[in-house]
Amino acid sequence: MAGGGGSADGGEPEFQIAPMIDVLLVLLVFFMTITSAQVLKVDKTITLPYAPDAQKKDSSRAEAVVNVRWEPTAKKASFVYDDKVYERSADLTPLFKSALQTGQKKITAGQNPAFRIVIRGDREVPAIYVSQAMNCAAEAGISDISFSTVNKN
Amino acid sequence: MRRLENNPNEGSVGFQIAPMIDVVFVIMLFFMVMAGAVKVERELNTTLPGTAETSSSADFVDEQIITIAESGEVALNDETYDSAENHLLPQLKATLMRLKQNADAAKTPALVTIISDPAAKYSRTVDVLDALAVAQIPNVTFTVSVEE
Repeated sequence: MAGGGGSADGGEPEFQIAPMIDVLLVLLVFFMTITSAQVLKVDKTITLPYAPDAQKKDSSRAEAVVNVRWEPTAKKASFVYDDKVYERSADLTPLFKSALQTGQKKITAGQNPAFRIVIRGDREVPAIYVSQAMNCAAEAGISDISFSTVNKN
Repeated sequence: MRRLENNPNEGSVGFQIAPMIDVVFVIMLFFMVMAGAVKVERELNTTLPGTAETSSSADFVDEQIITIAESGEVALNDETYDSAENHLLPQLKATLMRLKQNADAAKTPALVTIISDPAAKYSRTVDVLDALAVAQIPNVTFTVSVEE
């Protein structure tokens, strides 16, 4: 930040508005960036199920996130992985396998080093589609599964 | 920090720190209130069953089976608990907590398998997983009944 500034006469330093506006703008840009980053991560078409007693999300773990969307009018489910939509769950298996390989390289000796799949399913989706996503994880050799929920309805 | 003085002879309005602090406090208050209403993503964990080699013989423990019907009806070992509309499942939670206490007393792991109807809503499965989280039962498997 800029210095306190001073009058030319060498008296008491005056309040400088310019550096303060600089700082405020930096803060504003920072908050705008983190807010949009969080928004991008969340799939707006999915309403997560409510679970008041679920654990706090462990964001330190290596993971792959799959969204299970549900279209109630068409009665059709679809899977979203890495911003790509897949109609068939079988397409996820090779993706999970490569995610496991790249994810394991990143894993360091942490508290829980196992690679996991996070399933973010819509609360209205029939259980069979969530089970299909779990089957793909099993076929890819990933046994650690987490279900995403929200703490407020 | 010294407040800039407003000189009436110059005609320009000086920077006023007091209203700015007012605005900053209002914004801070707004964010503080909004922070409580923010929906936070949480997680329910499960591990898929697999095979494990052991050096000594292992005893197979009794497996408790929770079935979820398409209507949302939840049954533990064929006994129905709570209504299909009740998301909190208090009866099931109480039974599972007793089950966990008994398993701890017998020094055996409590093992639960959830078998859901393929057409049952996923939110109902999460209701049951939430009840298991309250009872602190970690060995949970989720599967879907296969239609024949």
